[in-house]
Amino acid sequence: MNWEIKTVAMFASEALREGYLGAAGYIILGVVAIAGFLAVLGMVLIYAERKVAGHFQCRLGPMRVGWHGVLQTVADTIKLFLKEDIVPFQADKVLHILAPLFTLLGTLLVLAVVPFSPGMQVADVNIGVVYVTAVGGFGVLGILLGGWSSNNKWSLVGAMRAGAQIISYEVSATLALLVVVLFSGSLKLSDIILSQEQGWWIWRAPVVGLVGFVIFFIASTAEINRTPFDLPEGESELTAGFHTEYSGMRFAFFFLAEFINMFIISAIAATLYLGGWMPFHIGGLDGFNAVMDLLPPGAWFAGKTSFLIFVLMWFRWTFPRLRVDQLMRLEWKILLPIGFVNLIAAAFMVMFGWYYGN
Amino acid sequence: MDNFVSDILFYVFAAFSISLAMLVVTTRRILRAAVYLMCVLGASAAFFILLGAEFLAGVQILVYIGGIVVLLVFAVMLTRSVDLLEERPTLVRKAIGGLAALSFFGTTALILTSTTFPVLRGGPLPPNNTAALGKKLLDYGSEGFVLPFEIISLLLLTAVIGGIVIARKTSVEKGGN
Repeated sequence: MNWEIKTVAMFASEALREGYLGAAGYIILGVVAIAGFLAVLGMVLIYAERKVAGHFQCRLGPMRVGWHGVLQTVADTIKLFLKEDIVPFQADKVLHILAPLFTLLGTLLVLAVVPFSPGMQVADVNIGVVYVTAVGGFGVLGILLGGWSSNNKWSLVGAMRAGAQIISYEVSATLALLVVVLFSGSLKLSDIILSQEQGWWIWRAPVVGLVGFVIFFIASTAEINRTPFDLPEGESELTAGFHTEYSGMRFAFFFLAEFINMFIISAIAATLYLGGWMPFHIGGLDGFNAVMDLLPPGAWFAGKTSFLIFVLMWFRWTFPRLRVDQLMRLEWKILLPIGFVNLIAAAFMVMFGWYYGN
Repeated sequence: MDNFVSDILFYVFAAFSISLAMLVVTTRRILRAAVYLMCVLGASAAFFILLGAEFLAGVQILVYIGGIVVLLVFAVMLTRSVDLLEERPTLVRKAIGGLAALSFFGTTALILTSTTFPVLRGGPLPPNNTAALGKKLLDYGSEGFVLPFEIISLLLLTAVIGGIVIARKTSVEKGGN
């Protein structure tokens, strides 16, 4: 099957040959689409998290606002809009205000390259994987600045923990990403998906793919500060960590970024290891592949991503929080050595062609 | 038409970059200086994109914003509090600083105007310049750069090991102090 990749950025550059207005229109379309998606996805994820959490604990979760509580997050969003926005008297005001925006910026920029389906992607940059890793840096910067500028001990400790944790786990996550880059021979996300037409990398690269996927998933869970790696917030130890002093919409920005990050790591993991929007194909079985193609690629992407998001929520109600020393030991003594060995093994496999469908 | 847009973008980013670079050295709050520095480095990434070097832009953000600025902020967080302001420089220090900046600007401008930069290879850029860059770095023929690449890798590895050695806990001698 021939997949044709179309992105908003491509339409914009085509329109630029005709005139500025068309190009500007496409750019605005892209930005509005991302912003709208961000807002809606945030609400959906928060509702899903509360429902999943409820059922894990034999509760019902939100039930009162709307049918089975579907309007609960809408109500909560309105409440957050109306809340007073407090900046502590002794805080560095400019940085206190900018910090949540930086965090949200890091999230927004990644959302721009997520390939939803062959014809649905805002920009398909040449350096996809590098870009995803690079703009993630804004997130940690926002957390560090927010914690420091609040001028509060809890915030500072939370921010320090977040910084140490995110910087450490970024190493393992990047090593795991490189495995797929080696196999597919491209940094571009659409090329990586197209390279999985005969099968997803998680099984086409025997063992190495699975190990890479697990490492990436664990390391990214730590990178986005989700339980069991939620030490930067650690309610029972640090009040609320780096966002103790935040209220109203600025708190909502941190909160939103956290939930959207959950979507992003699921989407990136699905794109790199589970074929993104590529249907479940087995190389050689054309009849089977044709049946799988009946489902549109967008549905495949949504299915894989939602499953991974569910796994992340499942983690939250399964594992207890790590201690700081356990956190560092897990990264530097366990994940990192495995990641290096995995990468070297992957390099040999690519060199000698020891993978399926080669 | 493409050139016009990129020209405008260049001047916008240049103005942004210069004004924020001024703020980096004039602000009295050290963490704000780090944030301004981050914006300047981001603007340089934008210049790389305008020049068609996306990979360099990505690495610029990855290394400088995600690495160096974060470490800077981390170091400042360990040592300074929000309330502390840098002291105002004396007139002499201001004058010396201004002189140093001016002479550096003069030298750079002189070199830039007096040098003709040869274009190594004419024609359009290869469509996938990231792959071309990777091939160049690992090419051991006369056109390749594998030797500098390997030397830099070795240097970085040494730095990493050195960092671990410095940070390692040294065992306390028994009985001694």
